[in-house]
Amino acid sequence: MAIDEMTAPAGDTGSARPIMKVENLSVVFPRPDASDITAVHDFSLSVTEGEFIGIMGEPGCGKSTAAMAMLGLVRPPGRIATGTVEFLGQDLGKLDEEELRAIRGKDIGMIVQNPRHSLHPMIRVGTQISNVYRAHNDVSKQEAWEHSIEMLRMVGINDPERRVKAYAHELSSGMAQRVLIAIALSSQPKLLIADEPTSGLDVTIQAQFLDEMWDNVQKTRSSVVLVTQDLGIVANYCDRVVIMHQGTIVEVAEVHDFFNSPQHEYSKAILGLQRRAQEKGVAIAKVDEKAPPLLRIEDLTMHFPIRASKSKVHAAEQVSFEIKPGECLGLVGESGSGKTTVGRCLLRLEEPTSGSINFHDVDLASVSREEFRKNRANMQIVFQDPLDSLNPRWTIKQVLEEPLKLHSDMDQEQRLDRIRELLKLVGLEESFVQALPKEISAGRQQRVSIARAIASNPDFIVLDEPTSALTPETTAEIIELLIDLSNKLGIAYLFISHDLTTVKFICHRVVVMYLGQIVEIGTKDQVFETPRHPYAKALLSAHLFPDVANRRVDREVRESLQGEIPSPITENLPKGCYLFGRCPSQVEKCRNMPQELTELEDGRLVRCWRVQEGELTD
Amino acid sequence: MIWRFVVRRVLIAILQLVGISLVVFFLIRLLPADPVARLVGFNATQVAYDQAEAALGLNKSVIQQLGDYLGIMSTAKYDGIAQGYLGDSWVTGSPISEEIGRFLPVTLELITYSLLIAFLIAVPVGITSAMRPDGVGAKITFFWGLFAGSQPEFWWGLMFVFFFFTWWWEQFGFFLAPAPLGRINPMLIEPAVITGFILVDSILSLNFEAFVDAAWHLMLPVFTLVFIVSGPIIKMIRQNMVRVLRSDFILYARSCGLPSRSVSLYALRAAMAPAMTLIGIFYGFLLGGAVPIEVIFALGGLGEYSIRSILSFDYPAIQGTVLIIAMVSLLVYLTIDILHAFLDPRITF
Repeated sequence: MAIDEMTAPAGDTGSARPIMKVENLSVVFPRPDASDITAVHDFSLSVTEGEFIGIMGEPGCGKSTAAMAMLGLVRPPGRIATGTVEFLGQDLGKLDEEELRAIRGKDIGMIVQNPRHSLHPMIRVGTQISNVYRAHNDVSKQEAWEHSIEMLRMVGINDPERRVKAYAHELSSGMAQRVLIAIALSSQPKLLIADEPTSGLDVTIQAQFLDEMWDNVQKTRSSVVLVTQDLGIVANYCDRVVIMHQGTIVEVAEVHDFFNSPQHEYSKAILGLQRRAQEKGVAIAKVDEKAPPLLRIEDLTMHFPIRASKSKVHAAEQVSFEIKPGECLGLVGESGSGKTTVGRCLLRLEEPTSGSINFHDVDLASVSREEFRKNRANMQIVFQDPLDSLNPRWTIKQVLEEPLKLHSDMDQEQRLDRIRELLKLVGLEESFVQALPKEISAGRQQRVSIARAIASNPDFIVLDEPTSALTPETTAEIIELLIDLSNKLGIAYLFISHDLTTVKFICHRVVVMYLGQIVEIGTKDQVFETPRHPYAKALLSAHLFPDVANRRVDREVRESLQGEIPSPITENLPKGCYLFGRCPSQVEKCRNMPQELTELEDGRLVRCWRVQEGELTD
Repeated sequence: MIWRFVVRRVLIAILQLVGISLVVFFLIRLLPADPVARLVGFNATQVAYDQAEAALGLNKSVIQQLGDYLGIMSTAKYDGIAQGYLGDSWVTGSPISEEIGRFLPVTLELITYSLLIAFLIAVPVGITSAMRPDGVGAKITFFWGLFAGSQPEFWWGLMFVFFFFTWWWEQFGFFLAPAPLGRINPMLIEPAVITGFILVDSILSLNFEAFVDAAWHLMLPVFTLVFIVSGPIIKMIRQNMVRVLRSDFILYARSCGLPSRSVSLYALRAAMAPAMTLIGIFYGFLLGGAVPIEVIFALGGLGEYSIRSILSFDYPAIQGTVLIIAMVSLLVYLTIDILHAFLDPRITF
């Protein structure tokens, strides 16, 4: 069988044989009273043994549909219109339903996104694993049940004897994802198709999974087709990348070639921020180090009571930091680290339990609501979900007019002028004033949110994951806009994000949080180049930067943390260091010794006694 | 866990029943009606009228009447609800509970069989029409739902009587269905009343002749009800099935290579629960809402009894009927909720 010249992996040893060959696959969805929608058009791909392929594209580009269609499956009422799929020399289109079924789940494993919805809500996970195993292996119920426990143990689920009896809703999404992996691997498939298998997982857990998958491919010479939106995953794990745009493949390239010299316009757009940063360097203005701080928070603590319980959620514990005028401070950490809570406390969207917030020499935490409101014009917030944070019934004009009415005494004519000016500042055309939020794209919605935030001329904005709901190309545009605005208007940002890639581009200094505590504060270079706290190290190492020159799979040591972040309720919190139990550098003394945030000689702050004593070096 | 839930629900149900009896008690007495005149006739003497009024207890204050009815601080010689006694009918003089005991099983039998059969038909039909949205089954279902629901049930009942009894006999010379005159041929010996369900009783008393005849008599009324309620139930199951078949977990189950039989069972399990809720709602509704069918086929059910009581201003009978219907409805809802919990582990108490 001839290997497709164009799609053969570069530099392969020659022993590789194709596992799957897809040709001209098209999927259509019929619409009542309208022409059919072609979700996937002329999709061709060949997968060789031991290969790790990434399929990338924006949401709705047909990548997930294409992945399912490779198994001959389409979500109703869609159907496969044309195309052939050859698997190990067999034409899947010519097999009957029973023969196809025997291949699915046995020779081709599938991991889908949204793991909790992909498990049956009313059947125990053990039964579901058993059912799949029994569908492909001639074993008794009892044997299959024992096999499920074994599989759960293998994918790293604690206490598998108990979890095997759980239902999907009783699992965290991390655990549900592991269950899907257990199902997919239980019959040792030759090809694994994984559709955004790590969406919604924290970076440290994402790295654990992808590492396991990568090791598995290397060990068993199986292949992986990974559908993703994340440039970082592609850069760090894939051998080849397939770029889809509006249902069509626009580029297939070896991964280094793709990042170094993308061919198609759309590929260039996806790599936007990356490329622009490389070409001219994104220009962030210098901060005047000697200026007095604009904002200084001290010992900010936020505890949420739990109903009918004595314990509390420790969302933030004694958080202290400063922001200078015009500075962008990054606040990073996994979900549950308390970063969003800190942002909300600054604007008193949550009333902090204790601590002070000094802004323009006023302690915002203790002033009355009335007094606080006067300061609100100076500090604004932009939220994660652009559509949810705009009133769906208001036109863009109404959205932007509201802060002007509240915080200024402009007349109608002046307000209109200001709205035009704002739209121009955020790069939107004037014609959008009459549009409703849902009529414009997510990127433009986020621009409107930003315009609303700068309407009252604030000198400080909290950006709470402003790019997390956006596609890679839109993210790049929004980051550039934020940098522009800061340079032009001198606004300081608190940039809250779990996406270290964007933080790296926009921020001057970075705060790393874990379980409500700050574990490290330093300049961008200090934290990104030489992180000192073990958690910061692991977080940086687990984060997948879209950098093919330093792939995670090429590293000698892949730093990672054990287990998952505990939920920060009173009885879960460790007595000593909060990272105890997950830390790769822990010693017995850490168990009962609470850690202090202390300054090192290079000016950064770290909460780890071993680093402070000089016991941990790079 | 489940027992705590049941106990809590029963306690709430008791409160609800108390509330319902109070509301009914006062509402009836707001009616511009004179049950005494109704009983003794408009030409009765004042003495006879007063005597009758005193006998019914209507000469007492409303609060005293309520006390008599509830059996709490009662001034009457007879028991009240608190003692578990619903009172005597003003028309027949016999205890209400006895009368309801006679009429209620007839209605229960009619609607239980009807809903059971409707459910058994609706599940496979709903599933097939969901699996093959362009198939014949789906089209028939669509027209059935449209057609059956667009006419009142008494009209369908009359049509069926006309077609299967009158027209059939004229055309073919034999009866496909019996005359719509009760539950059993009056020439046969009725089985002894054990459960009140005539089919069950005739089997228990080994009277198979009565069993066959009773089944024959139940055929048309049950058929009429099934014809009417199946439409919405099928539609419900079909819609749930369509939704479930498009869900992530079905697509995933297929991608894992589960046999299609298992996949169907996965889908059915998820689609079943809401359909059961609908059955429960129908059950409660039909307790009083099957009257037209009961009347057309002269079955003598609870619906008929309640209409008769209302028209003769038989206050204790009305109060008793409402209370019993409410009790049965609450019981059915509770059963459905418990079944639901067994089907769906996401429901916690």
